[in-house]
Amino acid sequence: MKRRVAITGLGAVTPAGNDVAATWARLLEGRGCGAPITNFDARGFSTRIAAEVRDVDALPLPPDRKLLKFGNRSHRFALAAAEEAMRDAGVGPSDADRHRWGCVVGTGMMTVSFDELASVQREAAPEGELDPGKVLAEATANDPMAFCRSQSTAGVALLMRRFGIAGYASSVHTACASGGQAIGTALRVIRRGAADRVLAGGFDSMVSPVGLAGFCLLSAVSPDNDAPERASRPFDATRNGFLLGEGAGFVVLEAWESAVRRGARIYAELAGDGNSLSSYRITDSHPSGDGPIQAMQRALRDAGAAPADVDYLNAHGTSTPMNDRSEAAAAKVVFGEGVGRVAVSSTKSVMGHLIAAAGAVEAVVCAKAIETSTLPVNANLRDIDPDCAHLDVVRDVPRSQRVRVALSNSLGFGGSNSCLAFRHPDETAAIVTREGGR
Amino acid sequence: MRIVVTGAGAICAAGASPARIVDAALEGRSAIAEVASFDVAGWPRRYAAEVADYNAAKLVGDRKLLKLIRRSDVFGIYAADRAIEEAGIPAFRDALEDDAATAFAEGTGCYVGSGGGAFNVNYDYFPLMAESRGDMEAFGRELASTVNPMWLLRTLPNNVLCHVGIRHGIKGPNACITNHTTSGMLAVIEGAEAIRDGEAERVVAAGHDAPIEPQTLLYYHLCGLMAERDLRPFDAARDGSVLGEGAGALMLESEDSAAARGARVLGEYLGGGDAAEGEGLLALREDGDGPARAIEAALGDAKLNAADVGMIVAHGNGTPLSDRSEAAALARVFGASMPPVTAFKWTTGHPLAASGILDVTLGLEAARRRVAPGVATLARLDPACAGLAVSSSAAAPRTDVVLIVCRGFGGTNAAVLLRAMPA
Repeated sequence: MKRRVAITGLGAVTPAGNDVAATWARLLEGRGCGAPITNFDARGFSTRIAAEVRDVDALPLPPDRKLLKFGNRSHRFALAAAEEAMRDAGVGPSDADRHRWGCVVGTGMMTVSFDELASVQREAAPEGELDPGKVLAEATANDPMAFCRSQSTAGVALLMRRFGIAGYASSVHTACASGGQAIGTALRVIRRGAADRVLAGGFDSMVSPVGLAGFCLLSAVSPDNDAPERASRPFDATRNGFLLGEGAGFVVLEAWESAVRRGARIYAELAGDGNSLSSYRITDSHPSGDGPIQAMQRALRDAGAAPADVDYLNAHGTSTPMNDRSEAAAAKVVFGEGVGRVAVSSTKSVMGHLIAAAGAVEAVVCAKAIETSTLPVNANLRDIDPDCAHLDVVRDVPRSQRVRVALSNSLGFGGSNSCLAFRHPDETAAIVTREGGR
Repeated sequence: MRIVVTGAGAICAAGASPARIVDAALEGRSAIAEVASFDVAGWPRRYAAEVADYNAAKLVGDRKLLKLIRRSDVFGIYAADRAIEEAGIPAFRDALEDDAATAFAEGTGCYVGSGGGAFNVNYDYFPLMAESRGDMEAFGRELASTVNPMWLLRTLPNNVLCHVGIRHGIKGPNACITNHTTSGMLAVIEGAEAIRDGEAERVVAAGHDAPIEPQTLLYYHLCGLMAERDLRPFDAARDGSVLGEGAGALMLESEDSAAARGARVLGEYLGGGDAAEGEGLLALREDGDGPARAIEAALGDAKLNAADVGMIVAHGNGTPLSDRSEAAALARVFGASMPPVTAFKWTTGHPLAASGILDVTLGLEAARRRVAPGVATLARLDPACAGLAVSSSAAAPRTDVVLIVCRGFGGTNAAVLLRAMPA
């Protein structure tokens, strides 16, 4: 029998708020976080809006402030969100069990800050072409701290150091699916006994000149500069791209029986992980939903749940024309005739698309939905796309509803699809009792 | 359930297949040379192990694809293709009827370890930055007319996963692991776990990296990690590592899947383990606690004892502290009864994210030939590594089980155990 895994700690730093409570309140309010970009001068860009984390300087600092030198903006988010999750779980590694703690993170792909890139360009590529000889004298290229911050393992290394974690450690990147895949990996690591507790999540910030540029060049972001709060409108007939966000989400996962034994507050059972590859095109999703369909079906099978058990789907719902149509088609195949009985919302409508952090933050959202029996709003939906009209989208106001099973989709560029399944802890407890009685 | 290896692919400076690279090691040939891809005159460190005669179109057999991928991806796709072909997957798949073909695609997974921390890819913005001279409004305005619209896609760390998936119609479970040096090794471990879980019948696991760039070379030097010239694992006079590049890949299958296809079995995956020290990005413990725990976890996973291990492929990256602490870890696990130890980075250089899985393919190839190649650059064993069963000449493994050790930034460590079928 599979070892069950409980979610006992939550943490978030998002454009909607710098902790879980503030983020959750804004998601229920359903007011979009899009605004003109302040991180840098974006006036020349075709898209000049994003959902930024506010008051970064007010984020909680790690006790050892020197750690910050090893991190960039997204690592700052990660440290704060992980701090909240660990405190919330009320448990941390001790000398006796730090080898049994793991850390799995979804990391962003932006490794170099624009200021550092600009410094190298000015000194070593003044005409646009790099002269390697000039790299030798350039300040950034001689700053080992800049190197440390650029490493894909900078985040996981910081988190392990901060919390004294010394077991399984991994960083994953499957574009927009990264956060979901990190949490799915952590689930499997606990199940197979390679760790007893895992700090898992994702962090990212692409609200930078090069990050935004990449998406502008692909016409993937909404150009609604005059109506930033409404720029992200998943499933709406007029949607025209995603709203770039940034932030971090973390959960503390632990073996179910140990969580029960220590009397921990269990938000939900992390019940299943479904993972598939679309193998269609790099940026395009198959109009039929092929790829996401298999991820959702595998998550349900892994969780031992039926489509009829699902009460809430936190959609990937990026607000691009193609994603939302494809995802809606996938839901129709997975839920069949019952598709109208599954409440759906994309919280990207409020906080934007947190890219490598999205799946992790949305796992936190699913845990809160289960805990509070409240479904967050899919903001900005006025006229539903006829291709998505079979979905029961949570519009205008949050909905009170007990959630037995929730699914969270994260669908990445490159065709990696992640679907996580969450179960209400009372449902799990009942199943455990039934199984024990057999 | 037994998990078998039915294909392996590799490329690095020392050769373009596991067999050629092991040949080079047995012949004592190092592929480390002065950097040719950029001008290193006057540089404090000038050596690396670069793939010579790099012909991307030939390696991936698709010129159009080159607009969408980078050098590292080319290596990864090449190695994965070789592993998949050696396993006979394409011929088998192409002969299947519709429903069986769908089931085959959905039962096939892809796990990739990918390098990170690349700097050159950002230089695509330099012409635009030179033109806009710090004026961000001009930067934004001229963006579309100056920068390749596909820039972000070329940059994706998960490109190999995506393109191997498309080329081979793979639709099963997958991951792209970006965990510095242990990336490729974790791709093997997580891929094997997907088969154990029943999530996949077969998995291609790959790892790739191409870190030989000006900024990277300088940073590694500044961090005190680069050798002046040769990479001399465990030698008393060793002075650091040398960057390499390339990829390794394995086709892993459930025994049933391999038998149903009549596939040739190269080896068996016995188990894997991962353990971090977590004391900082560049910190390593002297006592080798992390690698020791990773090896112990792999032995536990494989239900084997240290005495069952026939030979060891050490990480042996040539930096004083890493080698010393790795020797301490091996002493802790194997004590006085240590099987022959070898290492390959003295010839392949250190291809970072690819290094673990590359070493897995080389360890498997060597163990199939029943030989632990000598470490040709080893002149005098560091007294701090005393007891390590490493030599400059080849030795005979004591069993058919090979242990491969891999270490990375953040104090991360991974270990894999394979049984090698005779060549």
